[in-house]
Amino acid sequence: MNKFVLILKAYINSALLFSSLALVGCGVTNVVIEGSYPTPNISKLPVSVAVYYDQALRDFAYVEYSETGQEEFNIASGRSHMDLFNAIVPAMFDRVIFVDSMEEALAQGVNAVFVPAIEEFQLALPAKTKLDVYEVWIKYNMRLLTAEGDYIADWVLTSYGKTPTATFLSVEAAINAAAVVALRDLASSFSLSFSEVPEVRDWLNRL
Amino acid sequence: MSYIAANLVKTGGIISLLLIGALSACTSTTVDEFRQGETGIENHESIVILGRRQASDYETRSEFVDCVGEHMGNGTNSISVVPEQEFVDAMFPWFEPRTAPLRTSDLEKLMAEEVVAQKMEEFGVRYIVWLDGFTETSGRTGSISCTIGPGGGGCFGFGTWEDDASFDARIWDVASATSVGTINTDANGQSYLPALVIPIPLIARVEANACSRLASQLKDFVNGS
Repeated sequence: MNKFVLILKAYINSALLFSSLALVGCGVTNVVIEGSYPTPNISKLPVSVAVYYDQALRDFAYVEYSETGQEEFNIASGRSHMDLFNAIVPAMFDRVIFVDSMEEALAQGVNAVFVPAIEEFQLALPAKTKLDVYEVWIKYNMRLLTAEGDYIADWVLTSYGKTPTATFLSVEAAINAAAVVALRDLASSFSLSFSEVPEVRDWLNRL
Repeated sequence: MSYIAANLVKTGGIISLLLIGALSACTSTTVDEFRQGETGIENHESIVILGRRQASDYETRSEFVDCVGEHMGNGTNSISVVPEQEFVDAMFPWFEPRTAPLRTSDLEKLMAEEVVAQKMEEFGVRYIVWLDGFTETSGRTGSISCTIGPGGGGCFGFGTWEDDASFDARIWDVASATSVGTINTDANGQSYLPALVIPIPLIARVEANACSRLASQLKDFVNGS
């Protein structure tokens, strides 16, 4: 009788385990991108710039859907983008302040206000691409405005990051690593190409 | 009866272990060296080993880069190796996949940047070694089935696959901004996974062998021997 009870318990435990696994499989996996970004080794431009992160950038999250239309991954990268710009922008200009509104930028008397925006985020998973890499592609709209809010320059930048499947134990860790590579890619292209954007170059020459 | 069955299973497991002990997954490794210039390194100088990450469908794994660096930094005639991530972070943004020099002429232009030349001098980097390659698995055959029940479980079957690791190392002399040589390593081996009650993998250590042979050759190359 005791043996029968033990076997019954084992079956019940197995059934509970499989049910919980099935429930987990149906839910969305949240990934918050986290990384550290080095300060660029570049020459500073002799201008004062305010950096303004709008709410869309602060709260930016991308949802990846499965082939059946279910939410598969919810990737939050707003905080990480702010960390990235906080690390690179002060290395690019003589004076940098971070503001919570355009009015604050005007009061600070800066030469320009930098307002980054994420336009598009794409994720490529090995299960779908059949490649042995996780890939992240991000499209940005970089805006440079006067302290009064008038247009100076507006340009598009894209960044790309990938990580090999063999390196990671979990999908979340691989997505995070690919996103961090993409953010570093953005930092390198943004910091090195900033003064080569025609409108920015004209603006710098006018100062 | 159950006692006899249990003994049979135990004997099967022991036979598998003995067979596994007798067999070993073999790996064959080929190393080719092409020298373009004289080399040599002083005690105060170091090298940095960087992985190429420009290809669209693969990238050189940082674990392999670290493995080659560790082998070069140990043993006789060891060489001081700057860790890849430390170097790339210190040089940021000049050695990212998008901005890293692809040719020695790009390195020459890069060294014209005062901050890059200064950092390179701080690290004492004499040579940059670019590693490019990957390990490919092919020819997977066989099948293994496992069952589990309240009384226990076990696996039966056989699987096999082939691994092929192919890596190139290009050595650049930072002082003269020239390429001084290339070393190609190709290692392949067949791995087996027999399962008689318990699956015991016989893994061909293809990438590990490629790493140690490449590191050994690189060490001799950089030392000029």
